[in-house]
Amino acid sequence: MHEPKPSQSTAALSLFCLHCLGGSAREWQGVERELGAGIRLVGIDLPGFGSAAGLPGYSVAAMAEHVAAQVRAAAPGRWMLAGHSMGAKVATVLARQAVAGGVGLEGLCGLVLLAGSPPGPEPMSEERRADMTGWLDGAAAHRATKARAFVAANAVTLTPEARAAAEADVLRANPAAWRAWLQSGSREDWAERVGVLPLPALILAGAEDGDLGPEAQRRLMAPHVLTAEHHDLPHARHLLPIEAAGTVARLITHFAAPPRGGPRPPTVPAHYRALLESSRTSKALRDALLARAAPQADARRAWLPADAYAVLDAVLDRVIPQDPHARIDLAARIERSLAEDAGDGWRFADLPPDAEAMRQALHSLDALSRQLHQKGFAHLTDAGRDALLHRVADGQAAPASPGLLDAGQMALWFQDLRAMAVKHYVGHPATLARMGYSGVASGGDGPRKSGFTRFGIGEREAWEPVALAGETP
Amino acid sequence: MKLDTMRRNGLGEVVDAVVIGTGAGGAPLLARLAAAGLRVVALEAGRNREPEEYLTDEALSADLYWRGERLAGGETPQAFGANNSGIGIGGSTLHWGAFVPRVDARDLRLRQDSGQGRDWPIKLDELQPLYVELEAFLGVSGPAHYPWHPARHYPLPALPRNAPAQAMAMGAARLGVVTCDAPAAVVSQDFAQADGPTRLACVHCGYCHQGCRNRAKVSMDTTFLPLAVARGAEIRPGCFAHGLERDSQGRITAVLYRQDGREYRQLCAAVFLCAGAVETPRLLLHLGLGNRSGQVGRNYMAHVATQVWGTFAEEMRGNKGWPSSLMSEAMIRPEDADFAGGYLLQSLGVVPQTWADGVARGRGLWGQALVDYIDRYNFTAGIGINGECLPYEHNRLTLSDEIDETGLPKPHIAFSYGENERRLQAHATRLMTGIWQQAGATDIWALPRSAHTIGTCRMGTDPDDAVVNPFGRSFDIDNLWICDNSVFPSSLAANPALTIMALSLRTAAAFLDR
Repeated sequence: MHEPKPSQSTAALSLFCLHCLGGSAREWQGVERELGAGIRLVGIDLPGFGSAAGLPGYSVAAMAEHVAAQVRAAAPGRWMLAGHSMGAKVATVLARQAVAGGVGLEGLCGLVLLAGSPPGPEPMSEERRADMTGWLDGAAAHRATKARAFVAANAVTLTPEARAAAEADVLRANPAAWRAWLQSGSREDWAERVGVLPLPALILAGAEDGDLGPEAQRRLMAPHVLTAEHHDLPHARHLLPIEAAGTVARLITHFAAPPRGGPRPPTVPAHYRALLESSRTSKALRDALLARAAPQADARRAWLPADAYAVLDAVLDRVIPQDPHARIDLAARIERSLAEDAGDGWRFADLPPDAEAMRQALHSLDALSRQLHQKGFAHLTDAGRDALLHRVADGQAAPASPGLLDAGQMALWFQDLRAMAVKHYVGHPATLARMGYSGVASGGDGPRKSGFTRFGIGEREAWEPVALAGETP
Repeated sequence: MKLDTMRRNGLGEVVDAVVIGTGAGGAPLLARLAAAGLRVVALEAGRNREPEEYLTDEALSADLYWRGERLAGGETPQAFGANNSGIGIGGSTLHWGAFVPRVDARDLRLRQDSGQGRDWPIKLDELQPLYVELEAFLGVSGPAHYPWHPARHYPLPALPRNAPAQAMAMGAARLGVVTCDAPAAVVSQDFAQADGPTRLACVHCGYCHQGCRNRAKVSMDTTFLPLAVARGAEIRPGCFAHGLERDSQGRITAVLYRQDGREYRQLCAAVFLCAGAVETPRLLLHLGLGNRSGQVGRNYMAHVATQVWGTFAEEMRGNKGWPSSLMSEAMIRPEDADFAGGYLLQSLGVVPQTWADGVARGRGLWGQALVDYIDRYNFTAGIGINGECLPYEHNRLTLSDEIDETGLPKPHIAFSYGENERRLQAHATRLMTGIWQQAGATDIWALPRSAHTIGTCRMGTDPDDAVVNPFGRSFDIDNLWICDNSVFPSSLAANPALTIMALSLRTAAAFLDR
């Protein structure tokens, strides 16, 4: 496998890449060369392949655990999983563990699935399965012929070097692993267990691929992710990371990038930044709070439809009015929490799951606005929005039509929304600075934490910041 | 905590006991059984941590809480997640507030006295020596003079009062309400912990609920669990128990659990289910075990935990200091009560994201009023209560038809206050508002909320009416024991953890004597 490059601490995102049947971590080298800055690619050899040809554990669960161990060891912060063909199935299974709160798998924020084998049984004719199963058994000449045939059948055009490397990888594979995938791994049915992953996915297909081509990706893979961005690569068949490395790298870079433009988040005042950087604040907390204040934290995933986003923005502007020139993108942060967080442990039984409640509530609110004012919520005046939100808060927002959230549900949703909004607003270091909050400087990293010595009424340590809004209420 | 040199057991070896859960219910008995020379294995759903890892920020500490989704129903749905159950080696004691009142004798005989609620099959005399033993072992800090039990002595001096405690003491005194320094399972001096690293004195950082970074606050992973490991217990992190195998007589022979996506089966001679009042009944209901009485999941209780907040002319900065450093037992049985039972009062400092959640949900503020109020954070202080909640037929945990990532149905918890809780809440709100007025606060408001998860596998003497006997042993399966807040027959006004630990020692003794 590729060892993580040493000087990668600035990388905003780690991308763990899982290869296809007969492939190895090497197949990602072309993609890695053209990947944008800030993305660290970590290629992994699955058990039975590449440098891991001698390792046992060919079931999908065992392969997922093999990858999980490497993710845990890398403790990547924010990370994505890329899976090619067989590797895609492993990626979806591991992603389910990660979103279920798997230990050491926190921070998974997206999937890249290339000509992916779906979580359910892979579509493949029994004839082909039977034929391919024995390809790596027998004499060297037979094996070499079959490796050539396999690579040739799965790519449109390859450079001679790429072709040779791909064939060598096939021959490096442990024949037992090859047989295990064809006879067993590809048949395992994980569809129900994987379910719908609350993650955005980039789904790539080769326009000229066979069983795992564009149609199969839409039918068998897309239903397993919350939002899918599909691209069908022309003049490409199945070995996408090799035959279309440049295109794949460009699409991944775009998929993983924070958006440009839009409102700027507030800056953390110099005195407060100095406090965060002092020895009173632990390094881990400092890093996390500064990351929270970084513009990338406002990246929009575009998981909500654009019209729903507009309604959410309009609601949040009234829930927490902010300086238009220094505005935390609360909608982006709430959206990301809904899409990525492992959950907060509960929900009102009267509401559907959090993400679904958000979609339905925004739709219901907009419908109510159109019924009452003949225009969408985002087009109301501030006073008009406030009047409608008061009605929602008071449990008086009767649904505009049957099937929409009822008044009681809207009130509960609005309570949840207020809680989400203040969590992101108050947690932002710029807001903590505004509040004059000193608790960020509560310990440091020494064996004996610094803490506080003056904490009676009206007592303040010399270094404690004061509220920017004034000394007294 | 350090686990690398612990004794390990094979899956095929029949260990004397498997303990499911490593919180206040599981940890003390694990240590006690190991010390008696038994082979014991604890399964913990969460991970192992070192105190240095904790982050003094609520959002960054979210993984200290049980995040499997619970469905909150009823007329006063209870918040779960960051409001109660924990996960990780040490369970909820990783995030608890460490306020350790002892139970009042009258709370154990509430029905006998008031005709309401339910009596415990245990007398205070049986718990007192356990409280004393626990307070000494854990290093509880408390007042030199405890107004309601003058004979009581705490091993360490009280923690100093922070600003909310000082303000509450002043306001309460003007109303004639007696207060005192609150007993805290937080060491006010460096404390040599048996078989574990020294616990350093509290530095008053205020982040008890996000994990104590210098071991000052008691959690099981810095107290009972190092002791347990030193005596030969094995603790397996990341293990979610989801099944129990039984022999033809119905006795449990193995625990089935999942670790990192793989299935395991540990042979055992007994099981202690110590997973809390939600996960314990959830597993039993899912497996259809231990419920001949029909009581599993019933009588769900949560303390009335209303808070009252006020704004002061001077800075309070309630994030500093031990958050609840003043308390009062004066309202355990208020003279003018129109309800059964009573409540404890505590001063409150709350860190800002948690505080703002209460403001946004409970005060219902939004818009410029919300932004302005948040700007006043440093000038606010709170008082809270922990009040009796009666067991009711309508408050109950059941399994929903939604399956979560563990493969088990998500629990649905119906919870509605009854008339008794509403009256108690009204009484407490009036009193706390009065205290804040006397202390000079303005802009006073009440935040209704409930806390702790209690009941669902109650103990009793009648197998038709209780899940376990007074020692925590299942009436149906004689090698199944339960020890956590699920066995409480009534809620008690006292915060539960110290009493859970006392029950844990009691259950261990009963097991060893059986």
